Amino acid sequence: MSSEKPSIPSTGRGLRSSIVAALIFAAVTAGTAGAQGIDRPITAVLIYLTGVTVIGALSGLRTGVAAALAASVIYNFFLSGTAFRFGVTSADELVPLLAFNLSAVLTGALAGRLKDSERAARLAEAHSGFLLRVSDKLQQAIRTDEVARFAREAFPAEGVSDLEIFVARGSQLYALGGEGEPVPPLEALMSSGGSDISHRGFRVFELKGSSGQLGMVKFLIQGKADAGDNLPDLQGVANLLSMAVDRCILLERLSETRALQRSEELKSAIISSVSHDLRTPLTAIEAAASSLRSFPDSLPVEHKDTLLLTIEEQCRRLNQYTSNLLDMGRIQAGISPSQFDDVDVLDIVGVVLGSIRLMFPEQRIEKRFALTSAIVRANPAMLEQAIFNIVENALLHGRSLEPLEISIHAEGKYCTIAITDQGPGIAKDDQPHVFDRFYRSEQPANRRGSGLGLYIADGFIRAFGGAMALVSPVDDAGGTRMIIRLPLTQEPAIELTA
Amino acid sequence: MNILIVDDEPSIIAALRPVLQAQGHSVATSATAREALAQAGASAFDLVLLDLGLPDADGIEIIAKLKRLTSAVIVLSARHQESEKVRALDEGADDYVNKPFGIEELMARLRAAQRRLDQQHDDRHASFASKELQVDFTRRSVIRLGEEVKLSPKEFELLEVLCRNAGQVVTQRKLLIAGWNDPAADGQYLRSYIALLRQKLEYDSSEPEMILTEPGVGYRLAVTF
Repeated sequence: MSSEKPSIPSTGRGLRSSIVAALIFAAVTAGTAGAQGIDRPITAVLIYLTGVTVIGALSGLRTGVAAALAASVIYNFFLSGTAFRFGVTSADELVPLLAFNLSAVLTGALAGRLKDSERAARLAEAHSGFLLRVSDKLQQAIRTDEVARFAREAFPAEGVSDLEIFVARGSQLYALGGEGEPVPPLEALMSSGGSDISHRGFRVFELKGSSGQLGMVKFLIQGKADAGDNLPDLQGVANLLSMAVDRCILLERLSETRALQRSEELKSAIISSVSHDLRTPLTAIEAAASSLRSFPDSLPVEHKDTLLLTIEEQCRRLNQYTSNLLDMGRIQAGISPSQFDDVDVLDIVGVVLGSIRLMFPEQRIEKRFALTSAIVRANPAMLEQAIFNIVENALLHGRSLEPLEISIHAEGKYCTIAITDQGPGIAKDDQPHVFDRFYRSEQPANRRGSGLGLYIADGFIRAFGGAMALVSPVDDAGGTRMIIRLPLTQEPAIELTA
Repeated sequence: MNILIVDDEPSIIAALRPVLQAQGHSVATSATAREALAQAGASAFDLVLLDLGLPDADGIEIIAKLKRLTSAVIVLSARHQESEKVRALDEGADDYVNKPFGIEELMARLRAAQRRLDQQHDDRHASFASKELQVDFTRRSVIRLGEEVKLSPKEFELLEVLCRNAGQVVTQRKLLIAGWNDPAADGQYLRSYIALLRQKLEYDSSEPEMILTEPGVGYRLAVTF
């Protein structure tokens, strides 16, 4: 679709073509008179005929016929042999005169008809081209509010300066792209469309959709409001708008239904998660604390220690769980890069290893760091949480005392952190879901945890412009490799001078 | 120490008061910012434990005033609110403890604060000594596990700030001022010098045990006496 706008012949153009026709007529009249003066009647007649044909071709049927009639009258009355006398003296004079008059009218008429149908064809083409362009614009609209915005991009054009769309919601009319306040129907009809008062009138059309009346569209007309012939097919535009509004309303309803469904699913997932992941540690804590209070003397010392340890452990579990829920909320709310800073991945991995060594003192960890520093844009605490979750997940679900390998290296503009365990690997069925919220494997051994750790890691890493990937099994013996890729910032090397 | 606990949650006060008293501290409490300022003005406290979520004000807003009335302020803050912690530290708080915390962690922070108060009262204090590290601030010498470590002047300046605040967090801003006299200096310089210090002082610089990173806040010199 080209963007140029073929123009529709307008009144201004009509005036110009009348002047041109008059000029041509005057010129050929002068030519004819000249030829007649030097006694060349055939040349004189031919000049007049040619002039009439040209005028017909340029200006259409009406002007062509008028020119032909005028030419016959002038020729007859002023120029032919019997000047200043309207009449013929012999049949010999009559035949060429009749022939001349007839052919003048006919050529004028034919040339004019041809011109008129060409003009009609161009007008029709311009109108349909305009409709096509409006329809193209409207295709882009997804939300109802966008219909007005995209439709207005096609204006001003073709004598229409602007348009306003009013959509009925309930019993109220609302202007699309407006303030969101209902507009009284009378005001919608009469309002002048903002401060632009260059238009002199408007046309209103009803918008009808699949489920009845949708609202109305008001076209603001430039110039004379009655220049009706040259206006584009406004009913056609209104029909296109009806279809676009109808489509957008249906799309909006569909996405609302889907969002509602998703939020219902999330709600029930949170409720089932909370009831399990909060109640289990609470039950353990209450049982342990009440035992300690109820049997202060009869419990053996080591048993008391176990109970106290249980309370502490379950508190940590509760703390981690609430942190997970908060992190999930942060991811859903969207993480703003304004919280990001230049962070050294190696520094953060060091912090994570510090916590992991405390939690899993028996675990051997092999480090393969190909870099001495790897600066990325991230929120340091969130990056720590993401890496911690992945390492903890590998140790809990990898269930292997074989060394865990952590490697860091650069690949082009990215830093890659790979965490490889030598556990049983992740079942193929589970792999597409490990980063899903609240996803827990069906394998009984892997049902521990809230199903949020890897979701949070993935969400944070994505927020930093990175990505996570998973390889399992790593080799014939199994194992899982979690890979984090983060874009490196282009930091200049800094020379250290003390 | 004379300790003022400012927290509107009675269960936190109920849990902390007996433990602190058992450690030989005297404890007062207040539940609002207004009450806290009044109490701090009326009697001399060595340390305020300040919860940031108070019913009548944002705890951060009263840190500067509290610091003029007491010697040290330790903030109780939630995990993941690093910018809040940095703001509190910039306002003059000496340290923070993440909620929820184990009592050992709180006690370690109290000891670190106490140590710094003792040093302030002792003008001649010119050295730092822990199990692994001896630093002489006047002679500018550093001995790690009995062996002398050569540091560049800038490395020494940074280590000195960390040692003088041993056990307490030192913000990146404070370190940039100490090393470059400019809080807006490039953090990359600081990271590079911390990496150099770790190479000279840590057993494994990729898993530091002495100069710890507090992600998003700063660094902390771990102390074992």
